[in-house]
Amino acid sequence: MQAIDVSHLVKKFGTHAAVNDISFSVGSGETFGFLGPNGAGKTTTIRVLTGISSPTSGTATIFGHDIVRETVAARQSMGIVSETSNVYTDLTGWQNMMLAAQLYRVGRSEREKNATQLLKRFELYERRGDKVHGYSKGMRRRLTIAMGLVNSPRLLFLDEPTSGLDVESNLIIRDMISDLIAEGVTVFLTTHNIEEANVLCDRVAIIDKGVIAAIDAPERLKKTIQSVQSIEVSFSDSASAARLDELRQIPMVNTARKEGDKFRLFTEDPSEVIDGVMTYAQSHNTRVISITTLGPSLEDVFVKLTGLGRSGGGVTAID
Amino acid sequence: MGLQDRISRQLVAAWAIAKKDIAIYYLRPGTIMGGVLFPLFMFLAFTAGKLASPAALIPGLISITTLFSASSIEPVSIPIERRTGTFDRLLSAPISLNALVLGESLSGLLYSVCIASVVFVAALLILRTSIVSIVPIVIGVLLSSFCFATMASLFAAYPTESPGDIISMVNLVRFPLIFISGVFIPLATLPSFGQMIAYVSPLTYANDLIQGGYNGTMEFHPIVDVAMLVVFILIFQVVANYLYKRFND
Repeated sequence: MQAIDVSHLVKKFGTHAAVNDISFSVGSGETFGFLGPNGAGKTTTIRVLTGISSPTSGTATIFGHDIVRETVAARQSMGIVSETSNVYTDLTGWQNMMLAAQLYRVGRSEREKNATQLLKRFELYERRGDKVHGYSKGMRRRLTIAMGLVNSPRLLFLDEPTSGLDVESNLIIRDMISDLIAEGVTVFLTTHNIEEANVLCDRVAIIDKGVIAAIDAPERLKKTIQSVQSIEVSFSDSASAARLDELRQIPMVNTARKEGDKFRLFTEDPSEVIDGVMTYAQSHNTRVISITTLGPSLEDVFVKLTGLGRSGGGVTAID
Repeated sequence: MGLQDRISRQLVAAWAIAKKDIAIYYLRPGTIMGGVLFPLFMFLAFTAGKLASPAALIPGLISITTLFSASSIEPVSIPIERRTGTFDRLLSAPISLNALVLGESLSGLLYSVCIASVVFVAALLILRTSIVSIVPIVIGVLLSSFCFATMASLFAAYPTESPGDIISMVNLVRFPLIFISGVFIPLATLPSFGQMIAYVSPLTYANDLIQGGYNGTMEFHPIVDVAMLVVFILIFQVVANYLYKRFND
């Protein structure tokens, strides 16, 4: 049985279709990434899948339960971690866990056992008796995720789990996601961190303007745009913006951008460009410190499919 | 899953929501102002300087206390929870909207019963007020608290993140109710259109029950009072359900 099965889902607000006839399924135990620019329809899709909003047409089932007709049964097997750390700051960490468990009707002994385990796992147990308004941003995020797991869900909706967090919280959360995947929990991950999706997800869907532009395994998606290969090069002297314009003139370079102390040159013929770069270095009395051939990244796929452009030497925001 | 199990599941969730509200909102300044100080000041404004016996004044004080205190939690809690995102946590939990509305209303109900009980006991011990029967008073306080708390839940369905927006809307209803429900102005002295409006005010029936408990005279049969309050509760619950679904869609 599929964990999520979406068929011809449409959600309209007035005449505007925020989600326009999308269909996909997520297998049990799969980690599924749901990517898209702001306003693409990600949040609307999640609100429909979690039963907060009703679809205009189409169907969505969670482990076989129709989200409209069997909302309570469908939600019982889910854990939901929303983008904002929606915890009760006037309650303690422990009280928040108990409330979440009671809403999912987890029995008393089980909820105390689960809460203890999760708070320890997220390194919050020592602070369980403190009110949450004294927690840091990372601690609140960890508590939000712990609350989403207190009912031992078979399906976890994770909306931007690591956005804007410190390194420690980031590592704890990523480790936890990896553990959940290993335990066979189905994860529906929405993230702006495309590398995170690339590393964690079995498949990703890219949604844009309410329709799914692509859906496949990250590596297979990358193969669809093999023409987007690139050379990453750094020189012994400074990486000036003026050099960027000069590098763009090298034959077979389609476009170039500056990335920190390096330059990235996009091309369909990497070997030709490598020769060009070496010739350029010689003629400009500089040395090549490093040069690497790169295949297309998932971010390249995302940018190509969503039509998000890059301007000048910088990268246009993709979130 | 049997019907009994489903109902039990919803009641457990409703009680969890109510406990959360009790822990967070009972001592908030906005709640105390709206639920305790407001009815007290209203009472003093209408009764100060009048030569009426405590027995004649206390039923009115209990009536407006239930009205204000029962409807003081949700207009504060729900907009704040929309702002913090915690309301989405309740909306996405495996509970029905009925359970959500019931849970929110329960906290208002309990708050109101506590404050009305303090007023009742204080009047009994300090002012030595006498009562004819405690039964209609208890039923009146319980049902009216439930009714006004559900009414407040209904108003709080309006999708705003500002408590002030909801409190303003609730006050638009609460203040007129005081004047047309026989609390300070007897129904018999109201003009005929005023009496017509009084019939569609839940405070009229709540006040009638509480007055009956204190002095034994009632405008309506107690069964009519109880039935009307139950009908109002059901109407408010159904409409609140509809509005939460509509506004969150």
